[in-house]
Amino acid sequence: MNNDTVQITGRNQLLLRIFLVAVFLFGLVGSNLSYAADVGVSSSSVAARIAPVGRVQIEGQEPIPENVASKSESEVPELIAAPRPSRGDYPDIGVSSRAVVWILAQMHLFFGALVLAVPLFVLVIELMGFKTGDERYDDMAHEFMKISLTGFSITAIFGGSLALALFVLYPDLMGYMMRVFGAQWLVYAGLFFLESFFLYTYYYGWKAMRYGNLKWVHLTLGLLLNASGMTIMVLSNSWATFMMAPSGVNEVGAVVGNIWEIMKGPLWNPINLHRFIANIAFGGAVVGAYAAFKFLSTSDPEKRAHYDWMGYTSNFIAILAFLPLPFAGYWLMAEIYAYSQQMGITAMGGILAWLFIVQAVLIGTILLAGNFYLWSGMSRTEGSVRYQPLIKYIAFVLVICFLTWVTPHTLILSASEIAELGGSHHHILGPLGIMPAKNIAVNLMLVVTFLSFQLYRRSDKVATVPWAKAGNALLVAIYVVAMVNIIFLGVYYGYFTNTVYKVGSSVAQVGSTLVVIIAGIVIDSLMFKNAKTLPSHWGKIPDRSQYALFALPIAFTWLMGLMGYVRSSVKTHWHVYTVMKDNSPDNFIPTIGYAGNMITIVTVLFLLFVLFMFWVANLSATKQPKPVAALEGGEA
Amino acid sequence: MLAKTLGFSLALTLVFTLVTYLLPQVEGEAPVEPKVDLGSLTMDDFVALGENLFNNKGTCTLCHKPPPLGRAPDIAGMDMLATSSKRLADERYKGKAKDAEGYIRESLVDPSKYVVATWGKKGTNDSVSPMPAVDKAPIQLSVMEMDAIIAYLQAKDGNEVTVSLPSPEAAAEVAAAAPAQGAAAAPVLAATPEEALQKYTCTACHSMTSKDALVGPGLLDVGARLSADQIRQSIIDPNAVISEGFPAAMPADFAAKMTVKELEMIVNYLAEKKQ
Amino acid sequence: MDDKDQMGATATMLATVVAFVLALLAFYGLDHFIMAIQGLPLNLDLSPAG
Repeated sequence: MNNDTVQITGRNQLLLRIFLVAVFLFGLVGSNLSYAADVGVSSSSVAARIAPVGRVQIEGQEPIPENVASKSESEVPELIAAPRPSRGDYPDIGVSSRAVVWILAQMHLFFGALVLAVPLFVLVIELMGFKTGDERYDDMAHEFMKISLTGFSITAIFGGSLALALFVLYPDLMGYMMRVFGAQWLVYAGLFFLESFFLYTYYYGWKAMRYGNLKWVHLTLGLLLNASGMTIMVLSNSWATFMMAPSGVNEVGAVVGNIWEIMKGPLWNPINLHRFIANIAFGGAVVGAYAAFKFLSTSDPEKRAHYDWMGYTSNFIAILAFLPLPFAGYWLMAEIYAYSQQMGITAMGGILAWLFIVQAVLIGTILLAGNFYLWSGMSRTEGSVRYQPLIKYIAFVLVICFLTWVTPHTLILSASEIAELGGSHHHILGPLGIMPAKNIAVNLMLVVTFLSFQLYRRSDKVATVPWAKAGNALLVAIYVVAMVNIIFLGVYYGYFTNTVYKVGSSVAQVGSTLVVIIAGIVIDSLMFKNAKTLPSHWGKIPDRSQYALFALPIAFTWLMGLMGYVRSSVKTHWHVYTVMKDNSPDNFIPTIGYAGNMITIVTVLFLLFVLFMFWVANLSATKQPKPVAALEGGEA
Repeated sequence: MLAKTLGFSLALTLVFTLVTYLLPQVEGEAPVEPKVDLGSLTMDDFVALGENLFNNKGTCTLCHKPPPLGRAPDIAGMDMLATSSKRLADERYKGKAKDAEGYIRESLVDPSKYVVATWGKKGTNDSVSPMPAVDKAPIQLSVMEMDAIIAYLQAKDGNEVTVSLPSPEAAAEVAAAAPAQGAAAAPVLAATPEEALQKYTCTACHSMTSKDALVGPGLLDVGARLSADQIRQSIIDPNAVISEGFPAAMPADFAAKMTVKELEMIVNYLAEKKQ
Repeated sequence: MDDKDQMGATATMLATVVAFVLALLAFYGLDHFIMAIQGLPLNLDLSPAG
């Protein structure tokens, strides 16, 4: 193992500077591009500046009066309201336009999420490999890129089809969106050239820029690939958030602000953060499925060890990114409520409320699968035996919390059912249906999931610091008090105070969960410095654990589809909320059963495309053996 | 192995699908404009219309629900006459309403005028209401629809209904509020004289702040020189009387482009400019 | 390993008690802090103030 610290020699120092300058330049270029786009919108001022000064007159003729009105008209921006199409204005292709756009959009989003996420954690793994000198990290990073490379084309194909469908099927909406966003979409399109450049140089140059200074160049390319991808995402996010919470336009949709005001609506950054984190979790889950499949398909112990490690790393990424996700989602919902209480209640207290029960089922699946995989992974180490007794308690908490989360509040009952129930709500289970109970459940589930994770990480180490017992006592105290606090906050403020305190207490619950996670990470990193390592065996994990790695991406994918249904439906019968009404034949919120069918269709489609993507990756490494010439004396 | 993977994945997907089938299937219809036949409308019909609007297009029941779910006072369950009187008597009340009908109407179009204690937006100390103005998007109730809701809120507790049935003018407003035909972009109406002046580019030729001529005469003191009628004529028929020394350059199509409202706004504004 | 661990049974119990007291104080403070920054002050017994 190479233990040399990286000495910042003259050449490395230079390259380090180039690395940093590249980042800085990209930021500069990026912001200038958007400024140019902004200026490009007000092109009329350019026309005014280059208008001809003199006029050509024929001698002897009366001077031609200037057409003053038209000259000055071009200097004053015209206020044009959003279009109001009637039902007949929507093109009819014989199938539901909404269904077509739904499928194409969701497929584009699935693959877009994947190809944004993978380079992110690939870069981190590559950096780790560079820092530790362990070749396995670099090889795994390269492998992750290889298996997802086709994903970029698939994203583009679906993106192009989506754009085509949108322009063909919703021409008025798209005309309006083009008018609002002006040249911003040009920046978006231009970024694809940039992203492709960085993608191909990053991937195909991997082995050519493997060590030393060239490695720095390679890392820079990876960084710029991520930066361009991230910019692409935040640009397209602004279209979606504009449709939900328009900004920079007046009440009838006429543009009154500049492109920044249009982009930077109240929901833009919450969606940016939520999608950024969720992409990582999703990407980790998908590559984990690849690792699981390869693990189960081979009996070679070395290969099994490799794919076991890969699966563990993927699960680590997925669960680590998943933990803060509810908080990002909470911020998003809070901003929706702040923007329009009506929209917020439509989502969680009105017609879409039942959807969040389905979400509970999905997240419960994700947490159960993630935890199950971690517990199974404890078989890899002998040191895990001391933690085995805790698993049943964690499982118990998970199940109870899951059941609480799934409990609905408002049921649609017939008169006889109401009589049997003794009221419109169950007197014991009813209170479990409202938000305080759900918040308790989700926070406790996150705390015990982190506990599973922490126990797994400890199971191949023995602490050697003298204060280990005190440290453990502190950790136990933090866990216990945090869980009691979460329950107290939920029960007291949730049921015994008013709405405002009830809502505010959920932030404190989240804070408690975060304290546990941060304290756990900090205390463990200090406690296990110079720890004694116990033997652990990659590959020594039961086969059934790999199914947890299949369950994760399926649940994630379905969850993404479900959340897309919420995002779109929460606008009710508006294309652009409060500004442009939806008058299409599909301007109603579909039933959850219909949504379930659509989401299943896209999930299955995604599964098939991902299998294709993995197959192509393996195909490139396959070599057909050259046919051997007919043996002498054999049949001709 | 592929078969096992696919099988497991499909089975799990179907479990999720099945969950959605078990739930109540509700479709969220876009609001249907209630049809009103003014000729035969009775007060009972009007109150029923109000109740319909309260539960559907008005989206009132989204927030106005009984505790603990309600995000706004439970007006369906409270006596609105007694409640309105109590609100009007509150020392925090700074609005302009004088009676229950006025209070309810004010609450509909300007909810932040008076916020019932503890129901305000978080962090605003009950000075900002989370309720949207119902005559604006996305709810966009017409005057007649709001009257119907007020009638319902009064009648449901057995109190006297003080609103009157809609007149033909109100009905015309409801008809006008229906979505316009055609996808042509509707031009925005100027809301203030300044907006109107900018929209019709008057300031390109006329200075509003001095008597100096740009292309046309300066308008700083136009109200002292011309009567309102003369100003109006100058706008809609500029070539009828042209000031000496000026070209016939003023656009002659304002009569076709401007709405009556905008024209009157500009005329009144200019008529006030005496110095 | 135990031979490296310097603490006996009473010391461990004391450490546990101290740890719990510290944790309780920390979370009590956290509750006050997080509710306060949202404009939701609490009394000393954690009930809503005003």
